[in-house]
Amino acid sequence: MSEKITFKELVELISRQSNQSQSSANSFIHELVQIIEGGLKKSGSVSISGFGKFELRWMNERPGTNPQTGEEITIPGQNKVVFKPYKALREDVNKPFASLKSTVIGGSGAKSAENESDSESRIEDEKDSTKEIGIPFIAAKAKEVRRTSIPIDELLIEHENPRFPEDDPFAGLTDSDTDTEDDSFVMMPPSLPNEEKVAEEVQKAGAFKWSYAAAVIIALIAFIILFFMFQRMGDSDQPATADQTEQLLTPVEPEASTAEAAQEPESPPPQTEFQTENYTVEPGESLWTIAESRLGNPYLWPLLYQLNSDIISNPNQLPAVADIDIPVVSNPENLNEFEREQVALGYFALYEWNRENNPDEARFFLWAVGVFSPEILEQPPSEVDPDDLAFALNR
Amino acid sequence: MNYKQLIDKLSEQTGNTKTRTKEILGDAVTVLTEQLSDGKGVSIPDLGTFSTKVTEQKKVYNPHYDAYMMVPPKRVVEFSPAAGLKEEVKFLDSGDE
Repeated sequence: MSEKITFKELVELISRQSNQSQSSANSFIHELVQIIEGGLKKSGSVSISGFGKFELRWMNERPGTNPQTGEEITIPGQNKVVFKPYKALREDVNKPFASLKSTVIGGSGAKSAENESDSESRIEDEKDSTKEIGIPFIAAKAKEVRRTSIPIDELLIEHENPRFPEDDPFAGLTDSDTDTEDDSFVMMPPSLPNEEKVAEEVQKAGAFKWSYAAAVIIALIAFIILFFMFQRMGDSDQPATADQTEQLLTPVEPEASTAEAAQEPESPPPQTEFQTENYTVEPGESLWTIAESRLGNPYLWPLLYQLNSDIISNPNQLPAVADIDIPVVSNPENLNEFEREQVALGYFALYEWNRENNPDEARFFLWAVGVFSPEILEQPPSEVDPDDLAFALNR
Repeated sequence: MNYKQLIDKLSEQTGNTKTRTKEILGDAVTVLTEQLSDGKGVSIPDLGTFSTKVTEQKKVYNPHYDAYMMVPPKRVVEFSPAAGLKEEVKFLDSGDE
């Protein structure tokens, strides 16, 4: 409890409330305490109307360990004093939250579990397929766009087209199209039909509606992404594809950097994937120790987890003698934006894993996401527990 | 010990009438409730500390609906008995349970 009032203050308040001297209020409380104690000893419970009931509860003997020596001991059975607040007190105390009600979420237990595992395997498939081509970053992006519906709009504006004001998504749309056309010829086929669609839909709508424009943008993005996915699957052996996709997903980056050149002097083409080295795990090593020895910072271990998700399913278990990919991190003390984002995504993957398998500690991983990349925490790649989010944001 | 017995005993000990004792006890309860509702903790020597805690929102399986329920956060009263009281009653053979 953050705040506390002293006993003196309490006595003062009671004496004022009941119009008596402080000393008599003081002795009244002391008598009350004596009687409660006596009552507990004699009958095991003392009830105070409108407040609550003090009770003795017998705790059976149970095994435990001595925290100092670590020795196994048996904690003998004993009485515990418990206080059960009555309804009036409970309701008064809970007033700030009284309006909140329990809500049913999800369908039947079995069903939702099935769905979850379903979607998880799908994600893993996705990861696997992208893994082969070696562009996890873009895969993560694609996942983000596909799995969330509302933030797509913001995502587009933020990532693809930072120059355009948010309240003018349509301008951003057309411009980004021309940009992509300039940047890469591969973009032509998908963007043309989309532009037609846009024009058509605006005409249909008669008056221009922002919500309409947003919907169109979402459709456009989905289309582009599907196109990429399709292409990657089709000819994954062509290394050129990866480069093109890079350009496509960050078409305005070069322009943005010229605009902000003064603020951000370092702007060679943004990094979108790690160079990796192969590493054979030796018995007794963990992701933590590998990250410490090879990356220079043990806290970067989620990167390893993220990059090797096909080998490592349980982050707490590393198959011995496995070959894993180790990213090349330029400076572990001062990560660049991409690296930070990747670490954050790694922590996010861990959050998701822990939410399934270790829900009590999952929130700490979500918090770590925010430490490395507050942006990702603000727009999580998939749904997070609001409670965990609050914890992560406020810690 | 029920409320009536408590009042009897208390009025006997303090020399107040039962009505007055009830009043004072009611006032004390009012003050305690107010403080706890304000989110403040209250310590009473030899008895223990009352405080409040906000429980986290949690997902709970409700077998009746065969569905998960989101149970909202709630502020609840916590009581931790004073060390002396705890020791006094620890190995007591209290019959009533």
